[in-house]
Amino acid sequence: MEPVRYDDRQKIVRLSTEIVTARRKRNWRKYIYCGLLLFPLVAFIFGFFVIPMLYILYLSFIETKGETNAFYSIGNYVHFFTDSYYLHSLWLTIKISLYTVVVSLLLGYPVALTMAKCSPRVRGLLTLLVASPLLISIVVRNFGWYLLLLPNGTVHQLLISLGITTSPPKLLFSEIGVVIGLSNAYLPFMILSVATSLYNIDPSLEKAAAILGAGPFRSFLSVTLPLSLPGIVSGVVLVFSMSMSAYVTPALMGGANVPMLPVVAYDQIINLLRWTYGSAISYVLLGITLIMVTIFTRMMEKGRYREVFR
Amino acid sequence: MQVANDVELKGVYKQIGRNVILNGINLQVKQGELLTLLGPSGCGKTSTLNTIAGFLDIDKGEVFIKGKNVTNIPPYKRGLGMVFQTYSLFPHMTVYENLDFGLSLRKVPKEERRKRIEQALELVKMSGLEKRYPRELSGGQRQRVAIARALVVQPMLLLLDEPLSNLDAKLRYELRAEIKRLQKEVGVTTIFVTHDQEEALSLSDRIVVMNKGTIEQVGTPTEIYEHPCTEFVFQFIGKSNQFEGKVKTIDSRMICVELEGNTQIFIESKNMMGSNRSYSIGDRVKLYIRPEKLTIQEQESEPEIFYYNKYNASIVQMNYLGSAWEIELLLFRKRVQVLQPFVKSDWKIGAEVTVGWNPSDMMIVKK
Repeated sequence: MEPVRYDDRQKIVRLSTEIVTARRKRNWRKYIYCGLLLFPLVAFIFGFFVIPMLYILYLSFIETKGETNAFYSIGNYVHFFTDSYYLHSLWLTIKISLYTVVVSLLLGYPVALTMAKCSPRVRGLLTLLVASPLLISIVVRNFGWYLLLLPNGTVHQLLISLGITTSPPKLLFSEIGVVIGLSNAYLPFMILSVATSLYNIDPSLEKAAAILGAGPFRSFLSVTLPLSLPGIVSGVVLVFSMSMSAYVTPALMGGANVPMLPVVAYDQIINLLRWTYGSAISYVLLGITLIMVTIFTRMMEKGRYREVFR
Repeated sequence: MQVANDVELKGVYKQIGRNVILNGINLQVKQGELLTLLGPSGCGKTSTLNTIAGFLDIDKGEVFIKGKNVTNIPPYKRGLGMVFQTYSLFPHMTVYENLDFGLSLRKVPKEERRKRIEQALELVKMSGLEKRYPRELSGGQRQRVAIARALVVQPMLLLLDEPLSNLDAKLRYELRAEIKRLQKEVGVTTIFVTHDQEEALSLSDRIVVMNKGTIEQVGTPTEIYEHPCTEFVFQFIGKSNQFEGKVKTIDSRMICVELEGNTQIFIESKNMMGSNRSYSIGDRVKLYIRPEKLTIQEQESEPEIFYYNKYNASIVQMNYLGSAWEIELLLFRKRVQVLQPFVKSDWKIGAEVTVGWNPSDMMIVKK
């Protein structure tokens, strides 16, 4: 083999630096393309979401006294956490959201299980059915419930004629009504997220459990349920945060009896024109939801869960 | 005296839609043997295994395990052990917990459970990995754990559903030997499903060759390889060369078949395959022979070995396989494969050679 000559070496060095710079140039070009593609979305989110959110945050720290006097303070937050009406409203919001989560999980899990067990064709049909309520406006759906749950409405009459009770509980304008409305609205999200994680379970695991002596119930408890935890977690987080921020259902079906925080904030901003206080309520709602969701996911995603689903 | 059958299938029939999955399967599995169900995909071998395990609701027929009719007993009450193609270890349980699952369901006392799990892991050479999750194991290790999990409950039968097909060639070879050793050590009656004929030949005490929902042949590996009953079995197990011709003469020892161009080939009369075994002169027949049964001799060389069938041929292609040479010849205007352990230096592509074989190595079937 011939030794490499000096000018050859020079050439090699020059060539390799050229390759590197070419690569860098290409990378830059790639970033520019990506930036251009992302620009509309980034601009949209920044202009219509980030800036308004920051403005609301700014508003929440302004306290007004009288007509003209305005100054920076944390007075709005102090007011919120010292007034029992607002604390009750916060507790009510959390409570109703938790009920909604439990109800939609209990109703949704069996549906998801059925979807996971049936043939692909039936599964497609069921997915369509489960998602179909989302095609109808939530206002319309809630009005349906409104009519059904009216005092002396269809549900009341049914309960009386079946002899279950003579004095049926108040359904509309009560917590029960709101939980019914919210569960109905958010059930598809729970079903679909649980079903997705059930699809990912290897069907031969159930066979393995069966051949080892586990009957259907035991097999569900020891294999299917633990392996569907990721879907349960995402469904719970989704439904909980949507319930916390729901406005239409509590306003329509709870009315003044069920003052959930979004309704209270709306009232402050639109009806009472107390923009700054309404902004503070919004941020309390956001903060509490974030904290609850974080606590929940932290609780679930530790130890074994982390080992298995990481 | 009757030989003890651990498993007996009687007239098992299963139809899904218009497809007949199992068409009257009758099968006996003897105590302590390793039986392989072999066949192409869709032949019904896995369905047969699922029938024994209880995962398949059969339309007709009966299943007996250790003399007990289990046709209507669900899988979780049959007390079997099974290993799946996809390992099927519970991903949310450690190796120890995976093995403990079946034992705890059987309400074995805790101390004994621990002891049995230790023994089972030792048996598959996986001691010390109790606390690992399946995710942290390699494919081969997972399958070892799966085997241990099936064996730890001391099952009446061990069912293996293509347990090696997800592993690479070297591991497959290793684990195959391991399964054979384990099975003899534990002595558990084992049914092994595979589509790999080499696996079946090397592992089994007996092989069941299946095709289109029926059993083609049951026999020991040598019986299946050397004396296949049907054309399908011959073609499925190993490679084959095929000729077509007409019967010219028959006697009790030999059949003489005439090929196109007046070439005559002799076949031993006992080497008949297929259901129709009455031949008369003029019948159209197919002849089969395996590549390694053909021997190439140099032309003009002294007749070292006497062959009944000996013809001139030319070399078309030579492939080196490491352990042997695969040589393609042009014989009777057809391409024929020969497997030779060695080649001579003057065998080149285009060279004229003589190829010979014994009448006892060739099989005949009616067309």
